[in-house]
Formats: sequence, structure tokens, C-alpha cells
Amino acid sequence: MALADFFISLLTFVTIYSLFGLGLNVKFGFTGLIDFGHVAYFMIGAYVTVFVAMPAGLSETYEGLTGLGLATAFAGVPGGDLLGWLVALVIGMAAAALVSVLVGIPTIRLREDYLAITALGIATILNAIFHNERWLFNGAFGIREVHEPLSGAFPIGTGSFQLNLLLFGLPSVAILGYAAYRTAKVVRPLSVRPALLGTGATLALAGSVVFVITTMTGLVVDLGVFVLNVDNTIAFVLLVGSVVAGRAALTETDHIGALLALASALLFTLWYLGQPLVAFVTEGETADLLLNLFWLYDATAGSAGGLDYDRFFFLFTLAFLVGAYLWVERTVNSPYGRVLRAVREDESVPEALGKPTFRYKIQSLMFGSALAGAAGGLWAANIGFIDPTQFASTVTFFAYTAVIIGGTANNRGVILGTAVFWVINSGTRFLDDFFPSEYAQQLAALRLILIGALLIVILYYRPEGMLGEQDYDIDLGRGGVSDD
Amino acid sequence: MLEITGLDAGYGDLQILTDVDMHVDDGEYVTIVGPNGAGKSTAMKSVFGLTTHMDGTITFRDERIAGIDTPEIIRRGIGFVPQTDNIFPTMTVRENLEMGSYIDEESADEALQAVFDRFPILEERQRQRAGTMSGGQRQMLAMGSALMLDPDLLLLDEPSAGLAPDLVDEMFDKIDEINEAGTAILMVEQNAKEALRRCDRGYVLVNGENAYDGPGTELLGDDEVRQRFLGG
Amino acid sequence: MASAGLLDALLQGLITGMIIAAGALGLSLIYSIAEVPNFAHGDMITIGAYLALALNKPGAIPFVPEFGGLPLIAAGILGVAVAGSTGAIYEVAIFRRFRSKGADLITMVIVSLGLALVLRNVVLFLVGSGNINYDTERVTNTNVELYLTGNGLSVQTVQRQAGDLVTLGEWGYGWLSLLAIVALAAAVGIGVYRWRSDDASFETVHLVSPRIFGIASGITALAALATVLQGAPHTIDAAVWSTSVGVSIKYGVIIGLTLVTMLAMNLLLKGTKTGRAMRATADNMALAEIRGVNIDRVQLVVWVLAALLTALAGVLTGWFASNLNPNMGFSLLLPIFAAVIMGGITSPYGAVLASLIIGVSMDVGVFLLPAEFATYRTAIAFVILIGVLLVKPEGLWGDV
Repeated sequence: MALADFFISLLTFVTIYSLFGLGLNVKFGFTGLIDFGHVAYFMIGAYVTVFVAMPAGLSETYEGLTGLGLATAFAGVPGGDLLGWLVALVIGMAAAALVSVLVGIPTIRLREDYLAITALGIATILNAIFHNERWLFNGAFGIREVHEPLSGAFPIGTGSFQLNLLLFGLPSVAILGYAAYRTAKVVRPLSVRPALLGTGATLALAGSVVFVITTMTGLVVDLGVFVLNVDNTIAFVLLVGSVVAGRAALTETDHIGALLALASALLFTLWYLGQPLVAFVTEGETADLLLNLFWLYDATAGSAGGLDYDRFFFLFTLAFLVGAYLWVERTVNSPYGRVLRAVREDESVPEALGKPTFRYKIQSLMFGSALAGAAGGLWAANIGFIDPTQFASTVTFFAYTAVIIGGTANNRGVILGTAVFWVINSGTRFLDDFFPSEYAQQLAALRLILIGALLIVILYYRPEGMLGEQDYDIDLGRGGVSDD
Repeated sequence: MLEITGLDAGYGDLQILTDVDMHVDDGEYVTIVGPNGAGKSTAMKSVFGLTTHMDGTITFRDERIAGIDTPEIIRRGIGFVPQTDNIFPTMTVRENLEMGSYIDEESADEALQAVFDRFPILEERQRQRAGTMSGGQRQMLAMGSALMLDPDLLLLDEPSAGLAPDLVDEMFDKIDEINEAGTAILMVEQNAKEALRRCDRGYVLVNGENAYDGPGTELLGDDEVRQRFLGG
Repeated sequence: MASAGLLDALLQGLITGMIIAAGALGLSLIYSIAEVPNFAHGDMITIGAYLALALNKPGAIPFVPEFGGLPLIAAGILGVAVAGSTGAIYEVAIFRRFRSKGADLITMVIVSLGLALVLRNVVLFLVGSGNINYDTERVTNTNVELYLTGNGLSVQTVQRQAGDLVTLGEWGYGWLSLLAIVALAAAVGIGVYRWRSDDASFETVHLVSPRIFGIASGITALAALATVLQGAPHTIDAAVWSTSVGVSIKYGVIIGLTLVTMLAMNLLLKGTKTGRAMRATADNMALAEIRGVNIDRVQLVVWVLAALLTALAGVLTGWFASNLNPNMGFSLLLPIFAAVIMGGITSPYGAVLASLIIGVSMDVGVFLLPAEFATYRTAIAFVILIGVLLVKPEGLWGDV
């Protein structure tokens, strides 16, 4: 598939996981509750949304509870299936929040590590129930009749090729331009020498990877054997050069964030626009370049191109993420949010001031779980089918890794961390194609080893993550002994 | 025996003591008093290496001890009785005392008998779990543990804290006994009157600095000292 | 022919409990002394089991030189020893560094989680996700069948040899004999208990608690009397009640090994200088340091011990179930945590007792519940934990 399609798919994925992560951040980052069972609410949101929207009797292989058919209930109303689905989503969120209350009431009083293991256990049991009880939601076979809201309406377009190009292409370029602008702002403080060294390091790294990939195509890789040849050597030299230049760049500047942003921007441009640019320069081929730049425009959507369902759905989830982000930001920056943070620091203080900390904690759980539920509903619609294996406890741990990488108690950090995490995850999946399929499991295991090691390393060298804790409108007034 | 000169010390980045001077001679009974937060405990803990040393010297028998590790400090003959959390609650009295001579187990049996002689109640309850003992008994245990290696200098951090009034006298009597047997005492005390009455010399610390020093009785008799720093 | 019943489930549960206990003992140490809620504990079990596998069946694991393989006993011992050294690596490379940074509880939890991911996936990476088993001789199960008749209790030991059911032995006990056995065993047990707990009050502490002495003597007396008072078997046709209990040499080995290990741990903790240092550190790390204890060395010992104990649990589980897979340790994580939290983090003995309770509940629960619920075996452990925590949020024994 075209690079733009992959890009969209990755973006949608990251958006949904960011929503999941925001929910986790509310519980963990702001209120200090280690909920290792967070994925359970993701699962409940997904299943309940699907179940409520799903019409009855669609498939013979489904032996679970009969769907409530909300998606088709509003068929007469324009936009009715979207409305039905939204209602289903809200019900899914409510279900997740409700279960979190039931879980929370006995477990909130426990100290943090007991809470962690108890939450993990409950999530594991819930997953086991969904997996084993066929009569509930079809057990291990999952549900394939997932309603995708408004999918029938797409692809949409104006019928005119040029108009479509303008209509969807311009916003695409605008968004890319805005992203470039924001990145440039972050990179600005960087002085010339480290910038050049960083650029050199990134290019060398990219070159090294390209060499490795091109020499490995068609080559069977035997894990026990290493063959040295010209291409390997060049790749190795480039890699070493990249490491040397990179280290030099890191030591020369304090603006590590700017350097990393520069490197990421370069890598992205090379990956996303590299091949099309080369084609344009050498052969005058504009098609690939335009398609990648005008990523919102899908050439295969209808006769004159337009917006296909995947792209629409990405914008749809993005809207949810933006909404959730604003909601969480407002909460965190309010006096309510301040109490949550006070509870995180030392529960006895707000308690002594008469705040019912138990209630605040439960509400925090509900809020975070509802967000996870929403993410679940969106996830289901995105993937098209759900089954219990998608909701294993490792998903929670991935979210924790993402949140910690980006910066605990920092909403932007959650989104950044999720993006970094999944780029690494998917990026390495690219490499899978160059190994025989029997190694797929090994590569997956290797990836998890790296993630585990990354978690430990980050917690040691930079526990506050990339962005650290965010600034608040209302401060806690910390700083040692209180003097007012 | 113990010389503290120009000591700047604190915890992490927080400096508590500024240019503090003190000394304790062989067999002396010295007390540190002063208002809350004056840095009394910090001064004593600095001798035992439990604070961040910033400047100045601390010597014990003419050897610098600032910054050396705890087992070495114990080995040189300094014992320490913390104010709180000063026993091992799930271990027996006997085991607590044995922990006192952890770095030199061979001397344990003799030392144990000496401590039992000094604190008969500990011998009585030697197989009792330390956590089940009363406050006064725990203090005795903490002191006994510190005495297991027969230190030349015993550091006491507010030994009367949290004790019932009738036990306070008993506690101070015990400390007198220990001092008379030859052990030098450096004691931080909130109960300044009692401490100054019994000690040889005292230091008054205020805001992390030396304010007054002199023989205990002299300080007690000084109206200004009494009114400003000892609560009248 | 009698069929397996409650008693059989009970014995199975006891074995499960013993294996959980080996894990719980190590976790209890790490929790109380290293102050790490170790989420990698389950995967340490897996590593131990697979290390023994590497020595027992070197061909199964890439990068291991093919040398024909050691018999399971040698592979087990060597594997456990090597696993001990991994414990040292975790402490020195990871936890010591976080400790010197003053990391808080939450950080330690997540760090141990990272370690768990690494360990589990190293196994997945090297060996793959399939089931595998040790190369060792098969062990035949013997069924001990009990029949209650009008004359008393009749016992038959039956084994399946070459497809046929062979009765190895039969004997019986009259009602009087039964009464004598139970009464005398109880008397011995209580007597020994009284003898060992002299006039001292509940506050005193013994090297081996008098309760354990009493129980052990009682059980020994029971076994001895049961052997001595064996009589002629009765006719079993008119049996009022019967049951069958499956046993094999595996049971004996597991029970024996775990008991010996627990005893050794007990002696270590109560009778050696290192053990005292460990208990002191668990009680009050700051004070221990003031008294001259080398905390780093104590932590090293703790992690090595935990690694040894988990490796033992791993080898025993792999042998008992005749099966290893990369998730084997992680699936024990919840019951082990449940046992430690129930038993009280500061009390290794409490953790052991809780482990036995949990093990028995799991297998007896599976026996009593309808067959479809068998997959929820681990969930039972967990439900018990939640139940306990609801009533006593600080655990059965609480923590200091």
C-alpha cells in the first residue's frame, strides 16, 4: 500500500493509544494510582460499544449475547448510524467507568503495590472470563460484526479530480507545514555545530539502515552465521560514524530535546518523502510526491479520488483525542486537579484538610477508565473485529512505557511518548520483512526485550521522561517545608 | 579526644550548621542544647557520618573521621544511640544486643554480660521480642546495643524524648553511671535543665551556630541563657 | 475401584502450595529486605526451569554447545546454582543502582516489570513458545485406595503396569487400631509441643518454633503407628465410602526438598550472622547500617537466595507437570504475590503457610467446581487474596 496509507494507519493507531494513555495518566500520573489492570477498561469499552451497536442475528458463528442493534435503530435519521454508534460508545464508556468503581471500592484503600497486583489480577480474570465464556461475547472467537460508523457514506469526493485534490490536498499540506513549523520552533535553540553533527549522524544512520536493508533483500539470514562483505562493511562504517557524530553532538549542546527533534524530523522526511523526492529529481515523477504530501487525498477512493473511510476515521479519532486532551487539561488545571495531585503526593495532607480523598480517587479511576473505554470503542471500529487476545496485560505495560517515556503527569508527554513508542515498535516491524517468517516470533520477543530494557534505562537516567511533569495553572506550592 | 572545628554540615543541599566548634575530652560528659531546629542533632550526627559534610574538620584521637564509613567509625570507638527507630522490633532483646557488636562478634559474650550487669531488665527479658517492650525499656536496649563494643565516646540523641517523667530521672542516672565508668558522653537534649545540671560542659546552639558554651552549672545559672534559650 | 476424590485434590493442592511456597519465600525476602515488589519473580522461576533444561537437553536451545545432556538431578542442581548468579546480576546491575538513587516503591515496581519483560522474552527468543519437557525417566503413579467398611479402614495400593491394574499391597485397620493411631499421634504431637515451649510467654522466639516441632512429631508418630499397626485387609465389597489418592515419587521429592529448603532458610535466618543481618535490615535498614551492617552485601545475598529459590520452584514445577513453557512462571506470579501479601510481607513463615492455603484452595476449588471452571484455577488464588484484603487491607499478619 502507498506510504500515505501506512502513515494514516500509524497515525490512527497512535491517536487511539494516546487516548488510552491519557486515561492512564489521569490515574497514574496525576493521582498516583498504579492501575496495572487499565487494559480491562479498554476491553470493556470495546466489547460493550460493539455489543450495543451490533444488530441481532448477523452471523451464524456468533454464540454470544444478542446485540442491541443501536446502530440501525436510528436508520431513519440522517447520520443515524453515527448517532447510534456514539450512543453505544457513551454506554461503553459508562460501562468501563462502572466496572472501575466496582474494582476501585475494595482496592483503593490498599497501598500502591497491593493495588497494582490486585488490579492486574482482576483484569486477568476479566480477560479469562471473556476468553472462556462463549455465551458472553463469543469467547475466544471474538466478534466480527463490528459496526464502523458512517462507513457506508465513504469514500466521498466532489467528482472533480482537481477540486478533490485542492479540497483534501491543501489541508494536508497545511498540517504538514504546521508540524514543520512547530518542530522548527523546538529546534531553533540549537547552535550550528551540534545541528550539523546531529544532521550528519542521522544521515549516516539512515544510510546504514538503507545499506543493510538493500543487501539483505533476497538473502536468507541464518542467526548463527555472519557474512562480511562490501555492503556490510559500508553499513557498519556508517553506523560507527553515526554513533561518533551523535555522541559528539550530544556533548556539544544542552538542548538535547532540540537535537532529538531535529533528528526525528530528518528521519521522518527521509522516510516519508525520501523515495518520492528521489523519483521526482531523477525521473520527474510527481505522482508519489504529491500523494505523500496530499496525504488526506486518496487516489483510489472513487473515480476522481477523495477522502476514504480510513482517512475520515483518523480525523474522527483525532477529534476525540483533542476533546479528551482539552477535558483532561481543564480538569488537571482546576482546583479539583490540584486535590488529585495533592493526593498523589501525600494523602494525609488533603485528608487533614477535610477532603474526601476516597471519593476523589474513585472519580479519578472513573474518569481514566472512561477514557480507556472510549479508546476501546474507537479501537474496535478501527480494527473491524475484536477478540480477548487483543487485550492482554502487556497492553497496559506498553501504555506505562509510553507514558513514562513521554513524561508522567504530562498530557503532551503521553501523546509524544505514545508516538515514539509505536514508531519504534512499528519501525522495527519493517525489519521483519527481511527475515524468514519462522523468525517472526523471535523478532517479536526481541522487540519486547528492548522495550523492557528501555523502560529500565529511562527510569534510571531520565525518570521524568522526555518532557517531565507539565506546568500547571494552579501550583501545589511544593518546595520542602510549607511556610504559609 | 573529639575535636570539631569550623564545621559546615547539613543534608543534601540544605546547610544547617555554620562554622561550629566543639570538643569532648576523654571521659567528659558534654551536652548540646538549644531551641528546636538549632541543629543539635545535626552536629552529633555529623560525628557519626550521617550528614552531608560541607566544610571544616572532625577529628577523633587526632585522626580525621569526616566522611569515613560507618563500620570504621564504630571500630574507632564511637557509639551512637538514635532518637527514634533505634531497635529491631522483630528481633529479640538478645539479638538486638548482638547486633550491637556486629562488627566484632568475638567480644560479644563478654560484652553481653557487661550490658546485662548494667541493665538487669535486659537480661530478664533477653528472649523477648524487642517490639513488645515499653518505651523506657527500648531506650535501655538502644543504649545497651551501642555499649556492646565498649566505645570511648557515646553519642546520645535526645535520650529522654517520649519517656514518662519518672523514667527520665532513671535514664539520666544510667547515663551518669556510664560516664562514671569512663565512657565520654556527647548528648543532645531537649530537656536542657536536667542535661545541664548533670553534664560537665554544655554547648548552646542557635540557628546552626555556636551561641554559648561553658560548664553546665554556669550555663544554667546564666539568666540570659536561661531566658532566651532554655525557656526560663 | 475407588475414584479420585477430595483427598486426592487436597494432596495435589499441598504440592502446588509447596511450589508456591518456594516462590513466596524468595519474594517475601525481596519484599521485606530489598523493598522491591518484584514483578519479575514469576519469570525468574521460568529462567531457572529453562537453565536446567539447557543442561538437561542442550539440543533444545540454540547457542548451547551440544554435550549430550546431564541427568535431571545434576542439571537441576547446576541450573539452580547458575540461576543464583543471575540474582547477583539483577542486584548489581539494576536494583543497587536504583536503591542508591533513592527510587520510590512505584519506580521499583515498574523496573521489576521491565526486568520481567526481558526475562520472559529472552526465553521466548531462545526457545520459542512451545511446550517442552525435561529428558528424564517417567514416573509411575500409584493409587492409594481407601475403603471404609463395617470393620474399619482398608487400604490398597494399585499401580498400572503394562496396561493392567496391579495391586501392590493391601492391609487394613480395625476401629480400635484407628482410634489408637489417631489418639497416640495427637498425644505425641501435643506432648512435644508442650515440651518445646517451656515456661516462656508468647513473646519469646525459638530457632525452630515449638508448633512446627509438635506438628512434625505428630505426623511422624502417625506414620510410624500406621505402619506398625497394619492388620489384615477387610472385604471391600460392602464399602460405605471409598476414595483414591494418587501419589508418586515426585510428591515425596517435592515435599521433601521444599521442607528441607524451608528448614535451611529458617536456620540461615535465625542462626547465622548473615541471617541476623538480613533480619535486621528488614526491620530497620538505617539502624542496621548504623550498627555496621554492609547493606550492599546483604542485598546481594537476598537476591541470590531469591534466584536460587525461584529456580528450585521452576525445576520442580517443570518436573512435576512434565512440561515447560515460557509463561509457566508468570502464571505462578499471582498466587505467589497473593501468598506473600496474605502471609505478611515481613514473615517468611506466614508466606509459607499462606502458600499452602492457596495451593490447597486452588486444587480443591477446581475439584469442587463444575468442570468448565477449571481454567479459573489461578483466579481462585486471587479471589482469596481479594477476600483477605477486603477484611484486612494490610494483609493477614500486617506489616511492621
